[in-house]
Amino acid sequence: MAFYDSIFSALGLSGWCGEAGDGAPLSMADLMAKAGGDEAKGEFFPFPSLDNLNESCSSVLQSRDVTKGIEEGFLAAKPALKTVLDPITQPLSWLLDGALWLFEAMPWFVMVPILVAISYWASRSKPVTIFVFISIMLLGLVDHYDVAMQTLSIIFVCTSISVLLGVPVGIAMSKSDRLQKSTVPILDLLQTLPTFVYLIPLIFLFSVTESKLYGIAIILYAIVPVIRLTDLGIRLVDQDVMEAANAFGMNSRQKLLRVQLPLALPNIMAGINQTIMMSLAMVVIASLVSAPGLGVNVLRGIRNLELGVGIVAGIGIVLLAVILDRVSKAALSRVDMTRVKH
Amino acid sequence: MKTKLNLLKGAAVAALMTTGSAAYADCGEVTITEMNWASSAVVTAVAAFLMEQGYGCEVQKVPSSTVTAITSVTETGEPDILTEVWANSTPAYPGLLAEGKLVELADVLSDGGVEAWWIPAYLAESNPELTTWEGIMANPAAVGGKFHDCPSGWACDIINNNNLIAAGAEAGGLERFQHGSGETLQTSIAAAYDEKAPWFGYYWAPTAVLGKYPMVAVEVPAYDAEAHTCNGNVDCANPGFSAYPASKVVTAAAGGFSEREPAAAALMAKVSFTNEQMGEVLAWRLDRNASYDEAAVYFLTNYKDVWAEWLNDEAREKLAAILGNG
Repeated sequence: MAFYDSIFSALGLSGWCGEAGDGAPLSMADLMAKAGGDEAKGEFFPFPSLDNLNESCSSVLQSRDVTKGIEEGFLAAKPALKTVLDPITQPLSWLLDGALWLFEAMPWFVMVPILVAISYWASRSKPVTIFVFISIMLLGLVDHYDVAMQTLSIIFVCTSISVLLGVPVGIAMSKSDRLQKSTVPILDLLQTLPTFVYLIPLIFLFSVTESKLYGIAIILYAIVPVIRLTDLGIRLVDQDVMEAANAFGMNSRQKLLRVQLPLALPNIMAGINQTIMMSLAMVVIASLVSAPGLGVNVLRGIRNLELGVGIVAGIGIVLLAVILDRVSKAALSRVDMTRVKH
Repeated sequence: MKTKLNLLKGAAVAALMTTGSAAYADCGEVTITEMNWASSAVVTAVAAFLMEQGYGCEVQKVPSSTVTAITSVTETGEPDILTEVWANSTPAYPGLLAEGKLVELADVLSDGGVEAWWIPAYLAESNPELTTWEGIMANPAAVGGKFHDCPSGWACDIINNNNLIAAGAEAGGLERFQHGSGETLQTSIAAAYDEKAPWFGYYWAPTAVLGKYPMVAVEVPAYDAEAHTCNGNVDCANPGFSAYPASKVVTAAAGGFSEREPAAAALMAKVSFTNEQMGEVLAWRLDRNASYDEAAVYFLTNYKDVWAEWLNDEAREKLAAILGNG
């Protein structure tokens, strides 16, 4: 006799319910109770969950039917989703494969000067540039140059796309309160949803052998800060300045390009810095879906308890993180300086 | 896991108090591994139930994987019982046996495990020539041109790689695709099945995946002990092409466990499943989206005569309520 029997009969639903269901598999607690030679009593007042209601009324779904339904719904929607999403995301695969090929094909004596030059151009700071040079040399010294370059190429592609997509979305959010309200929960979801929860369904949509799978995983996670901070930066622009812009008769396009974006630039740069950091953080998880690079070594180290391998690869990731952080931070402070000078 | 276990214990204690039969015998605390794959989790759940309810042990399940469990047992002598150690894929295992750090209790899967290279059954039906390695190499595109290999760090990763080198797969136009994790390897099979797409790669049985998606093992040159041993080594100079031997899948206990808990050790020495039984239980679980515990209960309620044989008289008496009626 289950707890909710009386309620169903009081509501006159006994006919609809049919015979008390026995569809649920016996749980371990039931069996243990049985071992004690006693029928399972159940709680005094159980929560009216689907499973508990099902015990009284077999027409009520069980929770496992709900999860099954979600699974079947996804599989049913799959062909349609696939025809739409597969071609749209295809360029991502080409970009990732192309970048991987480029970073690997370039000999180190060309690649290292280019990287050093880029970091000098971005940061205009000698100490940072020297640090970048030493770090890359260190990675090369312990034979991690190739994997580090693979990781770097993935980050390069994924952050570029994140910025290209994220900044316009952030601008749109700052213009419309309604859009902001509806987007923020999605951003929260992207940041907190455990990666495998959406990665495994993605394998059904795209083959796991395609590089866009990990590209999507990284972009979805890393795009969030640049969107948030672009939105925030534009919203923080001083209202007095906007009034002055209005008084000069600027149209909204001019206001955006000449006033809001330049003033929001420090915030946007901070967002880009965070985006780079987050895509680096995703490298290990992306390796679980076959992304090459340092993450593979970290995973191998963990799986085989080759502590040395894991730690060296881990330190490699940290070095890359420090390089990217220092360079983008230096670029950020340079942007700030120009504002001060004016 | 600990909290869940405590809940279960709470339920058990509550049930026992009502009947006043809380006479725990001389069995103390036992730690048992719960490996990260389905069949092992079922073995663990069944064994834990029998030890708790039949022998009065206080069982703690330790979620782990083969490598972590083996390392932990080597260094600390804990956990007490290792379920489903695949002896072939665990190079450290014979050495630990010789040192006495591990004691082999039983072949937990009495038929042994099967590791092989598989293609889906529908592919074998439409293209029967693909069930041999020669047939695949004649037309690698028919299996998708890819070999789905296990993730880096698994023992099979090195063995497969050496086998592929020996077989000249790369030159023949078969690309080795290394998965990042067991989850994606498994999902790629499910996804291929969903679309009836070609798939070719490594997997092992008994598993829920092979229970749900019938696969056909591809015929490769017969098992050659010498070549296989060399293939297991990263620096194997001269890899040979060899099938996997039938895997011995054992329950092992930490050295000294048999002296400390002779009754529980005697039980674990008898816990053994045939591939048919295990396959049935795993397929049942997958069909119903059931938990490992529920699968264990399914086994305990449907194979009473099997596990009744494992118990000693005292335990059989304690579990009479389950064995007798229902």
